Amino acid sequence: MTEPGSARTVTTLESRLELSAPATPEIMELVHAMLEHLWGTTPNVSERDRLRFEMAVIEILGNVVEHAYAADNEDVPGKEGRRFEIAVGVTDGALMAHLEDNGVPTELDLSGVAMPDVLAESGRGLALATAALDDLTYERMQGRNLWDLLCVRATE
Amino acid sequence: MIEFAVETRDDGIGVVTPQGRLNMVSARRLKEILSELVSGGTSRIVVDLGETTFLDSSGLGALIGGLKSARQAGGDLRIARVSPAVMTVFELTNLDRVLRPRESVESAFHD
Repeated sequence: MTEPGSARTVTTLESRLELSAPATPEIMELVHAMLEHLWGTTPNVSERDRLRFEMAVIEILGNVVEHAYAADNEDVPGKEGRRFEIAVGVTDGALMAHLEDNGVPTELDLSGVAMPDVLAESGRGLALATAALDDLTYERMQGRNLWDLLCVRATE
Repeated sequence: MIEFAVETRDDGIGVVTPQGRLNMVSARRLKEILSELVSGGTSRIVVDLGETTFLDSSGLGALIGGLKSARQAGGDLRIARVSPAVMTVFELTNLDRVLRPRESVESAFHD
């Protein structure tokens, strides 16, 4: 278990955007739209920072949607379906995102994430997110997966 | 939501143009389009990324899958008109080594 990343402070940021939704591939478009809105309200974020942040958010969310759920999760009486929550925000110094999902625990050692063979057709998501971010942390808490993503903003 | 323009030119080269974001959802469609082209006898394919505004690892996977099936069929898959944003994804994953970006669709098979 790692300490929560400093990006967790996004959940207390007054200007943050939040979304709670079923974890389906189609919801990706809504998260792209959320980020578009974020760039619209904070126009001075550099294109490179926007790009690497969006890339990392979409990769982590893709991972949540694709891998983090047990097939039987929806069949358990009284148990919620597959859902996730995301909060994104910008400060003067950083871009931050916090994701939570109710999927099965992810067996994950982020320090060991590497790019697969160039001709591999999958397995690049977390490596890409790690390469794009300044800090990425994952922890399992009270039956939920918690992800914190941090991009330190480039100084002009 | 993304759209795909697909055409087969007179010289037999297939040109696929993803318009919009190439993510988990649209990558599945791209994979289908590429495999339909190859199984239909079009094994030389250019993916025109000039109108692709975002690319993620599933989009990369679809391109690599298409590259492999095109080569198995005796052809090749090439990418053209890559924007700086999309280029960053190729560089971070070292895929610019196997999918060298070409300047234009027209010249993509000129070597």
